[in-house]
Order: sequence, then C-alpha cells, then structure tokens
Amino acid sequence: MADREMIRIEIDGKSVSVEKDTTILEAAQSIDIYIPALCNSELVEPYGACRLCIVKVDDGRKTKLVTSCNYPVRKPIRVYTSSEMVLRNRKITLEMMLSRWPNVQVIKDLSKNAGIKKPRYQHPAVDLNPNACILCGLCMRICEQGIWENIINFTTRGAVPAGRMSYGSDQPHCIGCGACAEICPTGAITMVDDPNQPNDAEMIRKAGMRITKEMIKYDEEQCDMRGVGTAHLVEIMDAYDLLPVMNYRFGKHEETPKISSDIFRKYFTKGKPDGCWLGCTMACAKAIENFELKTGPYKGERVLVDGPEYETVGGSSNMGIFDPYFVAEYNFYCDTYGLDTISFSTGTSFVMECYEAGVLDKEKTGGLEIPFGAKDAALELLHQIGRGEGFGLIAGKGIRYMKKYFVENFGADPGFVFDIGMEAKGMEYSEYVTKESLAQQGGYGIALKGAQHDEAWLIFMDMVNKQIPTFEDKAEALHYFPMWRTWFSLCGLCKLPWNDVEPADNAETDEPAKVPAHVQGYCEFFEGVTGKPQTMDSLIRMSEKVYNFQRVFNLKMGFGKREHDAIPYRSAGPVTVEEYESRQDRYDTQLREDVGIDPSGMSSEEKVALTRKYREAQYEHLLDAVYKRRGWTNNGVPTIAKLTELGIDFPDVIELVTKHGG
Amino acid sequence: MITVNGIKLDWYEGKTVRDVIQEMNYLFPLLIARINGKLIPRNKYDSTEIPDKATVDIIHLMSGG
Ligand code: SF4
Ligand code: SF4
Ligand code: FES
Repeated sequence: MADREMIRIEIDGKSVSVEKDTTILEAAQSIDIYIPALCNSELVEPYGACRLCIVKVDDGRKTKLVTSCNYPVRKPIRVYTSSEMVLRNRKITLEMMLSRWPNVQVIKDLSKNAGIKKPRYQHPAVDLNPNACILCGLCMRICEQGIWENIINFTTRGAVPAGRMSYGSDQPHCIGCGACAEICPTGAITMVDDPNQPNDAEMIRKAGMRITKEMIKYDEEQCDMRGVGTAHLVEIMDAYDLLPVMNYRFGKHEETPKISSDIFRKYFTKGKPDGCWLGCTMACAKAIENFELKTGPYKGERVLVDGPEYETVGGSSNMGIFDPYFVAEYNFYCDTYGLDTISFSTGTSFVMECYEAGVLDKEKTGGLEIPFGAKDAALELLHQIGRGEGFGLIAGKGIRYMKKYFVENFGADPGFVFDIGMEAKGMEYSEYVTKESLAQQGGYGIALKGAQHDEAWLIFMDMVNKQIPTFEDKAEALHYFPMWRTWFSLCGLCKLPWNDVEPADNAETDEPAKVPAHVQGYCEFFEGVTGKPQTMDSLIRMSEKVYNFQRVFNLKMGFGKREHDAIPYRSAGPVTVEEYESRQDRYDTQLREDVGIDPSGMSSEEKVALTRKYREAQYEHLLDAVYKRRGWTNNGVPTIAKLTELGIDFPDVIELVTKHGG
Repeated sequence: MITVNGIKLDWYEGKTVRDVIQEMNYLFPLLIARINGKLIPRNKYDSTEIPDKATVDIIHLMSGG
C-alpha cells in the first residue's frame, strides 16, 4: 500500500491536507467541522439522498453547491459549509422534510438547529409516525454493501414508499444481523425476533454490531474472512515454515501457490456470505458450486463442496498433494462419509511416510501404491474407509491403532512409527508444524481432547514475536488461552470473531493478543443472555472449573496424567537426517547457542540425537511449569487445594485424585 | 544493524517498516509494529524510517486458528 497523493484544501478558512478522493465531508470531519449528513455513514457508499450536507465549493474558476458526502477532493478548492446560500438551501430542504415527517426526532433536532420553528409548507403525504421511514436508504445500502445480503429495498406498495423487505415482512433470507435496524436514524426498523428471550437483547445487538462494523470496515484488508475464509492462512503458514508438508517433515513447499487462497477464491461462490449461524456477519464458510466429482459413488455428478477451509488444504500439503481439484474432492467425500478432513489427511500422511519408509508395501495395503503425492491412491483409501473395506478398515481406525497394528503385524520399528505417528491421546494432529514453538507443542500435547490447536494457538507469540521466552511465560499463555478458548465451547460460541478481525485501536491496548475489546463484547453477550455481569476474569474462572473437571474426567477414563500429555517426537524436532539437513542452519545454531555444543565436524546422526535430547528435556520442563501454573501435581493431576478453590471438591472427585496423588 | 523480533538485520539509511516486513517475509496481515517501543500505525509503514540500532517489534496478532 503506497502512500497516496495528498491535496491541500481550505474549509471555512481552515487549511487541511487530505488524500486524493477523500470526500469533502470526511475532510471536514477530520478537522472537526460539522456538516449535517443524514443519509451518510462511514459503513456504506455515499448516496446523496437527503441533500442536507450541501456546501459551496470554489475551485478558482467558479463556485457551485455540491453534496459534500459524495464530492471527492481532486484539486485544491475552497469550501464554505455555512455560507448564506448554503444555509438557505439547507433550511428549505429541512422544512420540506419536517412538513412531511413532523414527529421524527432526528428531523426535529436538525430543524431546530437550523432555526425552523414551523415549516412554511404543507406536505400532501404527511406522516405523523415518530418512527417514519425518511427514505435515507441507509438500511438497503448496509444490507447490500456491508452485509452482502440484498434483503431490504424501497417499495412503493401502499400509500407511502419506505424501506421494506421485498416479499413482505418475513423474508426467509434475512440473516437477522440487525445492521439495518442499528443504522436506521429514525427507528423505523425494529428487530422483533427474540425466540430465546434474552435478558437484554439490545446489549447483545450492540456488541454484535461492533463486530459487524469492523467486518465491514476492515475485513478485506485484514483476514478477508468473507472473501476466502480460513483458507487465507495457506500461503501465510507456508511463508512462516508452518504449513505441514509430507507428514510434518517440512513447513513449506514450492508448489504451495497451486493450493493458495487465490486459487480457491476463483472457485468459491462469490459475493455470497455464508455464516454458520443466523446473524453472523463474519460468514467465513465458503463453498464451491457445481463441482464435478471424478471418483467414488457420485462420480460424474455435479455437487456443492462445503469448503475447503485451511485445515483441509493444509491436510493436502501434508499428504504432498498440491492440486485444488483433489482438495475439493477429498473435502466433499470426507463430509459425505462423515469423516474429519484433519484425521483423514494426517492419518494418510502417516500411511504415506510408512509406505515410503518400507513399513508398508503394496501387499500390506492390499494393492494400494501410496507414497506422498499419490492422489488417486489417497482417494481410493478414502473410499475404502467410507465403505469399511480392505486397508481402509485399518487406516480408518486412526493413527494410534495403526501404529500398534504395524508393529504387531508388519514388524515395524516401534521407535520410528511412534516418532512419526502424529497423534496425542488418540487424536490426530491438526495442520500446523510445531517444531519451532515449544509452547505450541504443549498446546497440542496437554490439550484435554487430544492434539488439536483449539485450546491454544501460540506459534506466532512464541516463535515469531518472541513474546513468551521463559517457561513461566509459556505456562501463563498455556493457562490463559486454553481457559479462554474453553469458554467459547462452554457457551457454544464461535471464537473466530474474537481474533480474526481486529478493532482499529487494538494495537494501543495493553494486551493486544487478547483483543480486550472483543473479550468485553463476549462479556456483554453473556450478560445480555443471562443478566449476569461478567469480567475477563470471571469468564476465565467459569472455564477453569469446567477445565479441571474435564481433566479429572480424563483421569477417570485413563487419560489424565503426565504420560498422556506426551507427544510424538516429530512434533518437537527432526526425526530423520533428511529433516535435520533441510533446516541445518537452524538446528546447528540452536546446538551452538542454546545447548552450548559446537556441532562442526559432527555427523548428522549425532546432531539429530543431541537436538532430540535437548528438545525432549525442554518439553518436560514445559510440562512442569504448566502443571505448576494450573495448580496440578507434577504428574498432571489437579490438587485437592485447586479443586477446593474451584468448588468442585465433590467426594468422588477427591477420592479419585487422592488415588492418583492429587 | 537493527534487531527485529530478536533477529539481527542489516541497516541502511531510509529503511522503512515496510522494507523490514518484506525482508522478513511477514505475510500475515494483523501486525503491530513498534520501533523502540513506539507504536507505528499501519498506514505509516511505508513512510516511517527506522533509525540505526533500533529494536523493532513486529507483533503478529494471531493467537487464534
Ligand atoms: S437484519 Fe441484516 S440481513 Fe436482514 S435485512 Fe437487516 S441488514 Fe439485511
Ligand atoms: S427504514 Fe430507516 S434506514 Fe431505511 S431508508 Fe427508512 S429511514 Fe432510512
Ligand atoms: S448526507 Fe450527503 S446527501 Fe445525505
């Protein structure tokens, strides 16, 4: 974004320099000169309907009256916002409005300011409603331009034209976001649909509207969630060496541009936001319409693919496949068979590495030749899993099962398959490379449900920003973020509006990573529904109770101790010599600077072993620090003191943790 | 020489925040830039020059995913 051309103009004798194409109204607002502007909003394109914002412009050759909301500054001009001619014109306009809508508050206020006591005219279609529609068009513009819906229009049915829903008052496609009601200057639109009877619907709407405003103003330049959804992360993760490639061996690939968001943008249905819930204006779900399937039971049919999202694309690079058609096809069939794209792709990446390493061969897979990049074989495996047949019966049971099966039946080296089988607590890793972020290794390993990043995504904070250098810093992050993100699940709320769009002043807050203004918004959502006021701390507290209770539940089910927070070594460092050598500078530097060993002259095997020793010890230190911060024993069991403090010290809970040294 | 997120980078006269972001290949859009602790607004990345020996923080605001 290059700096724009600046133009100096004069408004009411005050000089101001503005970017070319700024409107006169914006220029005046920037130096606190007030111009009444009834049909204008920063959220929509100007429209020029009310004509209250007229000003006189002198360009050196002639003067003219223009509407300031849609007059772009292109050369030096002089502007007069309250010359006699301007005031006279504005007054006439207002008198006409007042004669037509005598009880509308905003018109009454503006008229009073203009010194009008009683209009000189009588309007033939006078409307005495204090909440009459004044035809400013703000509602239709925000619905169309801001929300990308097109629900409201002017209709002339009945005596009075007004902003209305095109097919009567019950338009099934209205998402109920409330933006039209919020922007309407007269209160002509009210939201009536409150099926959940919240305590304070207005509070919820106001908090929601703040997010909506940010989406309208900033999304395109920030994450473009409405344009491409989470797929925008594909090229970003590649740039930071975090996109999993070939079972997490590498973090980037020269073919990533073939599956970047720009490619999917071309296939996605355009301009139609698709939210998971009514009212969501982030609407990051994307779809490919009319996609022709090449395999499987629906071969040859044209279908709608719901996606892909980032994880689905990252799963494809993880299998070494860089083909958008493959991504769409496997996305569709995973959805159709009821499989998770993450588990399928991470599991298949494991199969592929085992195939290349000789753990598997064509005979063991029942005829499948399945090295990295084998897209036809990957799809065939997917169909076998769907049908519950052949090798699909084994692969479909997940990595934890496969590891054991390969060792017991195929003579696989247990060390190798356990190092590269990317699962924790039996769940497959999602699609981020965690090798260079110790905090994120903990984020996956300690997560209660298994290796998923939805408790904590700390890679940038840790690896790029270097904001959490010590074990204590990482442990604090691994306390706050998992608790905060657990809260979303407790309430059934989506977390993306929390940090995939950002308020303009977020950078100036004390803790921008927490997006404090949005946490406040979530407090208001909660209070709006329940009537109970909340703070950031009280939300965390809610989660802490549940989180600890879940840990106890894990313990009861045989998953709640330190040994269960172990991670496969691929998640912490380079398993193979090839992996080490691909990032040799990085690992050599770590040996030299952090471990204090001079790696020169050492073989790669030796360096792999030393790096491993160091990194595995780091992970154990991290567990120590996190358990301590959370009030758990060194074995990862919540202490009785902690459970008592949280008020979940029920007799059977105490009995259970006591048995495990809590 | 300047330090960007703990990494040493060469300095030259006129090096801007944008230049550093490009050099580091920081593609992520939600960034916060500080030069010696002072916040630099996003619309000033092209015009803000970094002094020699400065400590630059380019904070990536993703704790999401
Ligand atoms: S509630 Fe939202 S979608 Fe419905 S008409 Fe209003 S702005 Fe459009
Ligand atoms: S309903 Fe409200 S926002 Fe829509 S045109 Fe009428 S006055 Fe303007
Ligand atoms: S604000 Fe400019 S015409 Fe209404």
